[in-house]
Amino acid sequence: MDTTRRGFLGAIGQVTIGAAASVAGAGQSASAAEGEHVPHWGMVVDLRKCIGCQACTVACIMENAVPEDAFRTHVSVYELVKDGKDPAMVMLPRLCNHCDDPPCLPVCPVEATFKAENGEVLVDASKCVGCAYCVQACPYDARFINHETQVADKCTFCFHRTQAGLLPACVETCVGGARNFGDLNDPESEVSKMLRDNEVSVLRPEMHTNPNVYYIGLDDVLDGRVAGEAAYHPEMAASVQHHGEGL
Amino acid sequence: MTKRRNILKGVAAAGALGTFGVGYTETVQKLARGKWSGKKPRDEHVVGNSIPAEYSVDPVTGDVTPNPDQAISYTMCNGCTTMCGVRVRVDKANNKVLRVSGNPYSAMSTDPFIPYESSVAESFAAMAQAGTGQGLTNRSTACGRGNAVLQQVDNPRRVLKPLKRVGPRGSGKWETISFEQLIEEVTEGGDLFGEGRVAGLREIRDLDTLAVEGAPEFGPRANRLVWMNCVDDGRDNFVLRWLKQSFGSNNFTRHGSYCGGAYRSGSGAMFGDVKAMPHAKPDFSNAEFVIFAGTAPGNAGNPFKRVGNLVAKARVDGDLKYVVIDPVLNHAQNGPSGERSRWIPIKPGTDGALAMAMMQWMFANDRINHAYLAQPSMAAAEAVGETSWTNATHLVIVEEGHPRYGKLLRGSDMGLAIEGDAYSETDPFMIASDTGPVPAGNSAAPLFHEGRTETQNGPVAVKTSLTLLREEADRLSMDDYAAACGIPVATIEELAREFTSHGRKAAVNSHGGMMNGSGFGNAYALMMLNTLIGNLNWKGGTMIAGGWFPDNKGPAYDLASFPGAVKAKGLPYGRNAPYEKTTEFKTKKAAGKPYPADGPWYPNAPGLATEWISSLVNHYPYGAEALIFRNTNPVYGIPGIAHVVDRLKDPEVVPLIISIDPFINESTAISDYIVPDSVMYETWGFSKPWGGVATKATTARWPVIEPKMEKNAEGERIGMETFLIAVAKRIGLPGFGDKAIPDAEGNLHPLNRAEDWFIRGAVNVAMIGKPVADATDEDIALSNVTRILDDLKATLKPDEWRKAATVYAKGGRYENITRSYQGDKATYAFSEPMMVWNEGLGSFRRATTGTRLPGTPYWREAEFADGSKVSEHFTPKDWPLKVMSFKSPLQNSYSVGSPALLRIVASNPVIVGTALAREHGIATGDMIRLTTPGGTLESVAVVRNGIAPDTVAIEHGFGHKGFGAQDITIDGHTTPGDTRLAAGVLLNDLGIIDPTRSRPGVWVDPVSGTAVRQGLPARIERIA
Repeated sequence: MDTTRRGFLGAIGQVTIGAAASVAGAGQSASAAEGEHVPHWGMVVDLRKCIGCQACTVACIMENAVPEDAFRTHVSVYELVKDGKDPAMVMLPRLCNHCDDPPCLPVCPVEATFKAENGEVLVDASKCVGCAYCVQACPYDARFINHETQVADKCTFCFHRTQAGLLPACVETCVGGARNFGDLNDPESEVSKMLRDNEVSVLRPEMHTNPNVYYIGLDDVLDGRVAGEAAYHPEMAASVQHHGEGL
Repeated sequence: MTKRRNILKGVAAAGALGTFGVGYTETVQKLARGKWSGKKPRDEHVVGNSIPAEYSVDPVTGDVTPNPDQAISYTMCNGCTTMCGVRVRVDKANNKVLRVSGNPYSAMSTDPFIPYESSVAESFAAMAQAGTGQGLTNRSTACGRGNAVLQQVDNPRRVLKPLKRVGPRGSGKWETISFEQLIEEVTEGGDLFGEGRVAGLREIRDLDTLAVEGAPEFGPRANRLVWMNCVDDGRDNFVLRWLKQSFGSNNFTRHGSYCGGAYRSGSGAMFGDVKAMPHAKPDFSNAEFVIFAGTAPGNAGNPFKRVGNLVAKARVDGDLKYVVIDPVLNHAQNGPSGERSRWIPIKPGTDGALAMAMMQWMFANDRINHAYLAQPSMAAAEAVGETSWTNATHLVIVEEGHPRYGKLLRGSDMGLAIEGDAYSETDPFMIASDTGPVPAGNSAAPLFHEGRTETQNGPVAVKTSLTLLREEADRLSMDDYAAACGIPVATIEELAREFTSHGRKAAVNSHGGMMNGSGFGNAYALMMLNTLIGNLNWKGGTMIAGGWFPDNKGPAYDLASFPGAVKAKGLPYGRNAPYEKTTEFKTKKAAGKPYPADGPWYPNAPGLATEWISSLVNHYPYGAEALIFRNTNPVYGIPGIAHVVDRLKDPEVVPLIISIDPFINESTAISDYIVPDSVMYETWGFSKPWGGVATKATTARWPVIEPKMEKNAEGERIGMETFLIAVAKRIGLPGFGDKAIPDAEGNLHPLNRAEDWFIRGAVNVAMIGKPVADATDEDIALSNVTRILDDLKATLKPDEWRKAATVYAKGGRYENITRSYQGDKATYAFSEPMMVWNEGLGSFRRATTGTRLPGTPYWREAEFADGSKVSEHFTPKDWPLKVMSFKSPLQNSYSVGSPALLRIVASNPVIVGTALAREHGIATGDMIRLTTPGGTLESVAVVRNGIAPDTVAIEHGFGHKGFGAQDITIDGHTTPGDTRLAAGVLLNDLGIIDPTRSRPGVWVDPVSGTAVRQGLPARIERIA
């Protein structure tokens, strides 16, 4: 069943990509003043450059005051063993994919979750009632209820930083240079060039969320998020509980 | 259909939005409302508790607008020994560090780093969307730990007031005392603890009485104050001034002997300096093939970020292919990079067998660099375009029984007329020729020769260094070497072939994996592979660090000397000196039996903290009267120390122990007094990269926040400098007070506070060579050097303070990256010869055996001090496994107090390979018991494929008893131990005492005297 659905959506996705460009283009011009360029933020994660240092994870915690029991972003570490091959290390940075087709959005009963002008999926805390439907709906486990604010919380692509002309915290501290951020609407941006020059993948393509987080070097085994042996790091101490399956 | 290929092109996001419309029309409408209906929420409603941006940068113009509530200051991280240049973001109103990332001027945090001439505003813009490559090109980073350790500043268990122990040492009970009482008690001594009289520092500082009666080689009694440091955090020059030049003690050591000292010693043997131990790094960006053996780029190491970044880029964007030879698969290998990175498992502690086997193949297949190795002098090397040289062609005296056995043959041995003294620099080395030995000249010499030659003292057997190396490489068969290291012959040959297929653009690198019983020989052997292909100083080969702009001796102030300075003297406390210089040797020789000595001596080693512990508890060569721990933790760090630590707790053994530390770690815990100290961004200092940076670089550290320690009666923050200055003044030591620091004109300036020293150091940094530009008012304001501006102006001359302000505004001084190379060669080349034969090594006798070792690299199975094999004491039958530790990408020995790190990795399970797990019925999550001859621990197992057979591995940085893992009681108030801080296990608890030493000492490498933590004999059992 899953295979069928996956194949079906995959085919649709391929067919519609070409036509879609014009649809999106129209939407942009409606939202912006004539001639004004509106960036569409995206991230390209080059897994060949990730060293699993977790600088992004910690920077995000510090920047965004992420509560003890949750992460907005995290790097999963895998020891991947394929038949006949030596075991290999794979580090997989994970975060909100800022989908253009975000499953978290339609389930929100109060329209707190929305797509912002530059493509970020954000939560309006003044509307959110903390029902956690979106947490359940996210195929990337990228959302959680922040027990301090009592509302849904997640990566914002560091909205407060990009608005100030800065880069997201995880990007500016990425030691290996794996996380790359920029304007997908600008064909000359570094991220656009990376998408042009490399074979890229997304996580959970069968969900057809049209994410804005792309991966270079993502093994098929891992695009289902957590297939294969889990990260070998142990669970937290008993006194600190992880939020469900959160990042 | 899992791949989205290049069809996405530049319109990936737009295309994605379209597919949305196909299936979920309703959603599109909702999105449209959210986006376009004018209901856009205010920013503060969408960013949660995120911190407001520190400044904003116009994406088009690059104009910087600061956030007046926050400061961004460039300073230094102390989260590990790399000491990167970082930017610290401070909430000014609350004196609180909010976040830390990199300094874009600093090579340690940025590649490529920006030109030093850039203004501070330009540096801010470079990292923003307005910067090159939308800010990605010069992004400047902190690592995971570097992002987290700011939490140490606010660690609730910080020591902020002087503490004095209550009850016995190590009881965990303390009382706070005033700074003035602290100074009084440690200086004057007395019955301080109701346990009898303790000598104070004033009494110990005796330059007239011998430390050991009848043994003048150990210098004066002042040497009985011994100082254990961790790493030079940029303040060691201050410590050394106080300890050696003022107090007069010669006994100072750092942590290297239980860190990566075996590697450094092996490298030092090749570079010809076993005390300073020079070492090179691969030119990661330009190398085509690198063998990492016992080091893990991207997983750990120094400089951690720089190496991780350069290797990541080189394997993706460059030409680099590399192998990681390690018992455990770690982050240095990268699956998505495919063939660019490969992991080869090896038995712990056997890298020398691999390296010697590779050499054997290289000699047999003539894959050594003849043109390089044949040059017997720098002049000869330069004449043929080489950039370094070796002693491969120099002749070595190999006549058994000859008084100069193992030494290089010199002109004076042959009776040649020489200028200067015999065996001095002017006494020529000899090379082979058709007419017998002749002085090394300006042209190539024979690589291989063996024969006898007439000397002044009759005929002696001689061989070239390279001949001796080849003989040593051929000592065992390839099969024997392969069996020893667990790597098949075919793989070894493949490695050797690949290594010798890239000209000089190949390299071998190593480090902490050498901390095993054969570590010195292993490291020397690995490093010699570089010399055999002649890659030193070449682009794509290996390079030493570019150096720095030193703070202590510069054009403005002389911080390195002063009127009335003492010249400290005496053989070192760690016995890293020739045994033959001791009265013990002379006495025993007179009695006809000079060997064995009462304990081991290590003439080819630097200062040895590991051996100090043995010296301290055995009073051999003598007992200490006072011990100072400064930000160091040997009790946690030395494998096997648990067996002797109770002796350290006995005041009869060491009467006075003072710690200078911000925290109560495992070592601080057994002290009598604790002097609070500054943390991270509160403190002053200067550091240089220890490797991997081709240009000159000085990182400056300055208090970018107000330090938290209590103030003394004079209103100064208590800390190391305050403590040492107060003691010096009370005793009346030279070099401190109102007339202490000479300037270039010989005028003396005061040294009454830390600022007097470090701010003047900053002027030296600024003025060396072409002085730096003056800091602008904007630079000073944007970097918040405003915080220290009054001190700069008050301390310095009118034409100096803006120079010092530039150094602090930019977080140091950095030579521009364009200076890295001159053509294909490193700008800063190492010019001394590589030692294919190290005569210091080849001519010494082990004090405990009287036997010799080769002067070339070698592979030897691990031995105890008496020369017996470790495997004979602890047989493979009883101890079938090897246990080892490896560095964590996140946690080190002193970072556990940063809660953010424990959120990511909360503990360290024991890593067991799949085959071993099957054999013992162990599954991930099972409790296991791991036992060595030195101890037992119980922990959780994690079963992995990525580990060598019969090997068990433990990540370092956990298993604490200090830092708050156990109860701390101060003035009767108890802070309970936190189980999270105590999580996991410590490999060092399994460390082994050398059973052949008559006076207790831990198992160490016989040459480098360094601790053994890789390859401890062990056995495992499942217990639940």
